[in-house]
Amino acid sequence: MEMRDARTWLDEHGDYLFRIARRQLHSDELAEDAVQDTLLAALTARERYAGDASPRTWLVGILKHKIVDIIRRRVREVELPRDDEDEEAVDALFRQNGHWAEPLRAWGNPQTEAELSQLRRILDDCADRLKPLMAQVFSLREAGGMETEEICKELGITPTNCWVLLHRARLFMRQCLELNGYSGAGA
Amino acid sequence: MKWLTTCKETTELASRAMDARLSFGERLALGMHLAICANCARFARQIKDMRTFLRMDATDDAGPHLTEDARRRIETELQNKLDH
Repeated sequence: MEMRDARTWLDEHGDYLFRIARRQLHSDELAEDAVQDTLLAALTARERYAGDASPRTWLVGILKHKIVDIIRRRVREVELPRDDEDEEAVDALFRQNGHWAEPLRAWGNPQTEAELSQLRRILDDCADRLKPLMAQVFSLREAGGMETEEICKELGITPTNCWVLLHRARLFMRQCLELNGYSGAGA
Repeated sequence: MKWLTTCKETTELASRAMDARLSFGERLALGMHLAICANCARFARQIKDMRTFLRMDATDDAGPHLTEDARRRIETELQNKLDH
């Protein structure tokens, strides 16, 4: 294993790793860092790579840890969002009596590759627009598939706080998708 | 836990149900509300759909990719590491 292998990893899996990282970190720069950290770690650990998993699976496993490392560093830097602002935004979606202010439109299912990739782009754009901590919790849970307890521990927040952030993120995300014209195919 | 929840409360339950196990009373209240409220049923369905789409494989060639600059930078870093 030499530079040739490392270059092959970069050529064959670089973009794939970048897309996974980009979706969870909401920043091109941080996602590039995650890919770099992953390949450097892979280079160090290459003797331990038994070869029973495909290189891509092995690299994705390393990437998951690198993403969490980056988030841990970053969470210390981001300012905590003002909570009442989000609470007002949630309240605006409902009437005083707790009913929806506006009826929800039904979504169809994307039928073609083009529709699916358009949907993914809107999802990523909408997630990028969430406040940093909320975006982080949402993406780690929904895109990264991490358990909430794990996310709370990594980000240093309580489970209740985690659920509140996820609830709000989901409300904002579905509204954002609708505002951006997503209704699925044929709906 | 009350049995008749508002839509707002129902969205909280539907959301938490995706991350943790609800109590028996909560599951009952959620199920009852979803059975009679089209909007909340849609909400519950849509937040599940979002998860499905976000967890799909990232092999979407139209998606974002590494820039040439980033690629070169990473290659240089790998080379440096090997030289040491």
